[in-house]
Amino acid sequence: MDQERYSRQLILKGFGIAAQEKLGNARVLVIGAGGLGCPILQYLAAAGVGKIGMVDDDIVSLSNLHRQILFDTSDVGKPKVQVAAQKLRTMNPDILIQEHRLRLNQHHIFDLLESYDLIIDGTDNFESRYLINDACALLQKPLVFAAVSGFEGQLAIFNVEDKDGVATNYRDLFPIPPKNGEVLNCAENGILGVLPGIIGTMAVAETIKLITGTGKPLINKLLHYNLLNQSQYELNISPAGNYDLPNSKADFLMINYDQTCATASVFEEIDVAQMQRLQTQEAALVIDVREKHEFPILDKEVYLQVPMSEFDAFLQNNIEAQNIVLLCQHGIRSVAAAELLQEKYGNTKKIYSLKGGISKWRNHFLKK
Amino acid sequence: MKLEIISFGKISEFITGQEIEVSEIDNTDQLQQYLETSFPQLLGMKYKLAVNQNIIQANQQLTENDQVAIMPPFSGG
Repeated sequence: MDQERYSRQLILKGFGIAAQEKLGNARVLVIGAGGLGCPILQYLAAAGVGKIGMVDDDIVSLSNLHRQILFDTSDVGKPKVQVAAQKLRTMNPDILIQEHRLRLNQHHIFDLLESYDLIIDGTDNFESRYLINDACALLQKPLVFAAVSGFEGQLAIFNVEDKDGVATNYRDLFPIPPKNGEVLNCAENGILGVLPGIIGTMAVAETIKLITGTGKPLINKLLHYNLLNQSQYELNISPAGNYDLPNSKADFLMINYDQTCATASVFEEIDVAQMQRLQTQEAALVIDVREKHEFPILDKEVYLQVPMSEFDAFLQNNIEAQNIVLLCQHGIRSVAAAELLQEKYGNTKKIYSLKGGISKWRNHFLKK
Repeated sequence: MKLEIISFGKISEFITGQEIEVSEIDNTDQLQQYLETSFPQLLGMKYKLAVNQNIIQANQQLTENDQVAIMPPFSGG
């Protein structure tokens, strides 16, 4: 090890040669070489992390340059990982830089993760984030999560046990991926260039703390950062226990991550005004899935009664209507029914569930 | 009961940080229903509630002066 290169952190109280050796032995994979990925890669390399992998299939474009500070104007049109690797090798020739010029998918993610001890997610879309989360959770790989939106950022560490032996992952926060278009990305929403710089360097700080055992990393915490008023807000994450993670590689391969976000839009949760519009304008079939003893009793001319206990049998029939609205007391069973119908009809019908159910829209259902 | 509401990301564009005075709300399920009725924009969104900085995983009793945070997911990078 070149002690002169790292001398300023070697003399830090509580750091020293032991911590530097841990960094030198660490293998870190950075997924996404964009606004977050650039500062992450630069500081990991500068700090002397022994092996750094980077995954990205994109090329540099002019609109990247205000925040992706590894790239120059002359790099426009070149593959990001190739440019980044070249610059990092020049910056620190003592470490190993591995390029993975590919778009991450579930077929090669396990092979990729295998050669690394810690993963940093700096991607820019929910498909990748859920794919990375589930694979890391399955392998119990420490995952540093960094994300930005507008003037705000989020940071967390997943799959690392706290002192009570509890570990959490992204699905403990957000069990179901948002639908396509529900949350805007940087291209749609805009981003101040320095924000991913701040969140990216914070992600490296957490990574260095984890590897070297320094300080208190954000284990089971979500840190929210707001650039506009320079404020931070920390949330404690606990296990949710209300979602299914794939528990084997075979299970994992069965999930369609490309479409987990897309197919979610096949059935939609709606309010009572949208339901009325569908009834009057789209001749929607409205199905009440409550059991027969439940109150209030709805007009059977308007609401077809198919209790959940009879729903499987009902699915054997063919439904003519193109638009189907499901409702129940609280909007929970109707979601389950919507999922069953979606399984049967896929994209061929429009399926809706009344969010909050009859109890939420009591005034509508009880009016004469 | 007086509650402090803090929201983040896109949600802070329609629910600004505020103290609210609510009656007949004792728990987080009721609060969620109240919020979704008052701010229908929430209906189509994913978000997580936290009470006094602890993420809520199941319905929980609320008490006077609790601080409730509404956090959406971010994906940008």
